[in-house]
Amino acid sequence: MSLPDTTLGIAGVGAYAPRFRRSADAVRDALDSFHAPGIDSVAVPDADEDPITMAVEAATRALDAAAIDGADLEAICLASTTLSTIDESPVPHLATALDAPSDVDARTFTGSTAAGGEALATAASIDAGGPVLVVASDAVTGDPDSAEGQAAGAGAAGVVLTADGPGRIDGHGTATASYPGTRFRPEGGETQGLGITSYDRQAYGEVLSRAVEDGETEAVDAVALTMPDGKLPYRAAGAAGIDAGAVATAETVSTLGDTGAASPLLGFASALGSGASTVLLAAYGSGATCHVFRIDAGRVPVEASLEGDVDLDYTQAMRYRGTFSTGTPAGGGANVPVPTYRRSLPQRYRLHAGACRDCGDLVFPPENACPSCGAVDGYDIVTLPAVGEVVATTVIGTGGAPPEFVDQQHRSGAYGTAIVRFEPEAAGGDSRTVDVPLQVVLANEAEAPAIGDAVRTVCRVLYDQQGVRRYGLKAVPDAGD
Amino acid sequence: MPAPVHAVCMRDAFVVGAGQTPYGSFPDETYRTLFADAVDATIESAGDLDRDDVDEAFVGTLGVGGRQLGLPGPAVTEAAGLSCPTTRVENACAASGYAIRQAVQAVKSGMADVVLAGGFEVMTDLDSDAAKYWLGVSGEMEWERLAGATFSGTYAQMASAYFHEYDADPDALSRVAVKNHANGAQNPKAHLGFECSFEDARDATVVADPLTLFHCCPTSDGAAAVLVASEAIADDVGNAVRIAGVGAASDSVGLFSRDTYTSIPASEHAAERAYEMAGVGPDDVDVAEVHDCFAIAELLAYEDLGFCDRGDAGALVESGATAIDGDLPVNTSGGLKSKGHPIGATGAGQVVEAYEQLTDQAGDRQVEGASRALTHNVGGSGGAAVVTILEGGDCP
Repeated sequence: MSLPDTTLGIAGVGAYAPRFRRSADAVRDALDSFHAPGIDSVAVPDADEDPITMAVEAATRALDAAAIDGADLEAICLASTTLSTIDESPVPHLATALDAPSDVDARTFTGSTAAGGEALATAASIDAGGPVLVVASDAVTGDPDSAEGQAAGAGAAGVVLTADGPGRIDGHGTATASYPGTRFRPEGGETQGLGITSYDRQAYGEVLSRAVEDGETEAVDAVALTMPDGKLPYRAAGAAGIDAGAVATAETVSTLGDTGAASPLLGFASALGSGASTVLLAAYGSGATCHVFRIDAGRVPVEASLEGDVDLDYTQAMRYRGTFSTGTPAGGGANVPVPTYRRSLPQRYRLHAGACRDCGDLVFPPENACPSCGAVDGYDIVTLPAVGEVVATTVIGTGGAPPEFVDQQHRSGAYGTAIVRFEPEAAGGDSRTVDVPLQVVLANEAEAPAIGDAVRTVCRVLYDQQGVRRYGLKAVPDAGD
Repeated sequence: MPAPVHAVCMRDAFVVGAGQTPYGSFPDETYRTLFADAVDATIESAGDLDRDDVDEAFVGTLGVGGRQLGLPGPAVTEAAGLSCPTTRVENACAASGYAIRQAVQAVKSGMADVVLAGGFEVMTDLDSDAAKYWLGVSGEMEWERLAGATFSGTYAQMASAYFHEYDADPDALSRVAVKNHANGAQNPKAHLGFECSFEDARDATVVADPLTLFHCCPTSDGAAAVLVASEAIADDVGNAVRIAGVGAASDSVGLFSRDTYTSIPASEHAAERAYEMAGVGPDDVDVAEVHDCFAIAELLAYEDLGFCDRGDAGALVESGATAIDGDLPVNTSGGLKSKGHPIGATGAGQVVEAYEQLTDQAGDRQVEGASRALTHNVGGSGGAAVVTILEGGDCP
C-alpha cells in the first residue's frame, strides 16, 4: 500500500439510518421468496428522506462527534450513487444545511459504490488545513423481484478529517479491473446486475485482493467492506485472505440492507461503535474498482445510532418507496417560485430568525417590517436551537393535504403541522421566543405531539416542483436525550 | 392608527336592497349568470331603483378556478347589465365584506349615491385536488403552507391552542354545527339545508384534529349583492337599513406571526371600530351573522365580538343564547357551515341575511323584533376582517 500524502487525521465519525425496517420475512410472506442472501432486514427511507437529507443527518453527527463547526469546513466530499438530480451539484444543499463557508471546496463522487472510498481518498489528500468532511449517502432502489431491489437499503455515514484528528490513515491501496455488468443502473432505470455469481465474485475478489497488500489485513479488528448483500463480500474477502470474522464485526448489511456507497463507511462507523480500533476499510465498486484504507482509529469519537424502531410489512415498505403513488396531482401546488424559495434557504436549512434592531424582538422569517414594532431597521441573525415547544398543532389526515404534499401523504400517511416556539439563549439574559410553523414527521398519528411537547428539527424534502427538489426543516417528536 | 371614525363620518349610508342566489352546486350556471341573478334579486328588492341608478360597483371574488383572474368585476357587472365603473375587491373570504365597506365609503364621501356591492364564487366545478389548491391560496404561502397546513389545519391549530388555554370542552364545536344546521334547514337558499345531530357532528370523519367534517363549511357556488345608497335615496326607496358602523382590520397573513392563537385580533379590532362608529356595544346587538368557516371560528367570534368573556364561548352556545330563539341569535341563515361559503359572495350574503332580518323578510328564520344586526366577515385565518352594524327603521 502507498501512504497518502496527507497530514489530516480522522477527528469524528457519524452515521445515520432511517427509522423504518422491512424484514426479509416480510418479503417472503408477500412473494414466497427472497433473493438477497445474508439480509435480515433493510432500512426504508421515509417518504421525505433522500440521499441529501440523510447526508445532512450523518454529517451533523460527524461534526458533533468531532466538535467541529460547519462554518469552519474547508472542503466537502459527497459520495452517492442515487442522487435524485444529475447535472446539478448536490453539495451546495449540504453546504447550506451545515452553514459551510462560501469558499468551501465542494466535490461530488458518484458512478459506483466505490464512490465513498474515492471521496475519502480525495479528502485525505486535499491540500487544505482542514477540516474536511466526507459523507457517503445512498437510498438504493431496484426492481421488487430482483436481488438488488429486495436488498435495497438506505443510510449515510460521515467522516471529519482535521490536521490533528486522532484517527490515522496508515495505508491506502487501489485496484481496477474491467468487469462490466456486475451492478449498473441504466439511465432512468433501477439498479440491477446480471446475477452471474462466479463472475461477480471474481470481480470483487480480484480488485480487493490487488488493493490489499500482503500482510496488511493482519492485526485489524474489523474489515468494513462494501456489502451489496451478506454473501458476496465474504467470498471476495476470503479470496483476499481476509478473515470472515473481521468482516462480520463491521457489517451493517444484515440490518440496513445494501447501502451503496455508504456501505463501507457505515461499516467503519459501526465497527468503531463496537470498540474496534484498527480497521481496514474497503470500498468496492462495480466496473470494477476498489479503494482500501488501513486506519488506526482508536480514539476517534463516533455518533452512530443505527437502530430502527418501526417495522413495516411489505405493502407498507412499497408504499413508502412510492410504488402506489403517481406523484403530485394536477391542480398545482403553492406557487413559491424557486428564486423566492432560494432567498429563504438560511431559514429553510438552519432556522435563522432575526432580532429586530429597533425593539429587539425575535422575528421569523427575519425580513420585512417588524411585526412587533413596525420598524424597518433590519435584523441581527439569531440561529434558533434545534429543539422547540409545540404551541399549536393538528394532524392532517390522509386526503387532507394540499396538492403539493399529496404524494408524500400517499406514501407516508398523516402528518402533523404545528407552530413551534423556540427560545434561543439570549446574550443579555432576557428571555425571547419566536414561533415557526413546521410540518411534524410522524410514523403514525399516535406520535403526534401535544401542546407543550418538545420537537426537534430535521432536514427533509419539502416537495418537488417544476422538477426541482426543495428541502427544508421539519420537526420530529423529541425523545429528550 | 386610523383616524377616529367620527372624524370621517360625513353622511349616512343605507342598504336599500339585497339579494342572493341559492348557495350550492350549479353545473348549469356560470360565475356571470350567478352574479347576474343576484343583481336581479337585489334590484328587485330595491323598489323603484333600476340598473341605471347604480353609480359604482364593488365586486368581491377570490377567483377560485382562475376563470377570470383579471377584470372579474367588469366581467360580471357587464353580464348583470350594469354600465357603471366596477372595481374588484380581493380579501380572500372577506372580499365582499370589504366590497360593502368600499360602497359605504363611496356613499359617505359623496362620490356616489347608489353603489352595488357584492361578490361571487364558483367552487364546485373543480376536481378535489384543484379545489384544495384554490382553497389554500389565501394561506401564508412561504411558511404556513410549506409546513403542510391547510385552512382546516390552521383553524385546527387555533382550536388546539384554544381548548388547551381554557381547558374547554371541544363538544362546543359540535354544538355550533347543530345550531347552524338547524337554522340552515329553514333557509331555502342554504347549500347544506339539513339538520344534523350532535353525534353526527362529533363522530364525523376527522379532517384536522379536533375538527371533523361537520365542523367545516362546504365549498359552494353562489353570488350575493346589496345596494348601498345615500339617505335621500333611502327615503325614496323605503325599507332601508342604516349602516350604523363598519370597521375593518388587517393582521399577519400567517397565524404563526400573531401574538395570540386563541383569538383573531383582526376581528376584535374591526369590531371595536364598528361599535365605536355605531355608538353601540355588543349588548345592543339583536342578531348576528358571524364567519363560521370552521366551528372554532364561531366560538372565537363570540369572544372577539364581545358577546361573552374569553373562554366562555362554549358555555354561550351550550346555553342556547345564540340559537334562533335565544337572546342573541347567531347565524340565523345557517352560517357558512350550512348556508354555504362561496368565498367572494359570503360577506355580502351575510348582509343580505341581516337586511332580511331587519326588514322582516326572513321568513321561517325571522327573529321577532330584531332591529340591530352585526355581520362579521374574516379573510383567510384572520389576515383581514370586517364588521358591519346595521340598524332597522325602528332601531332605538
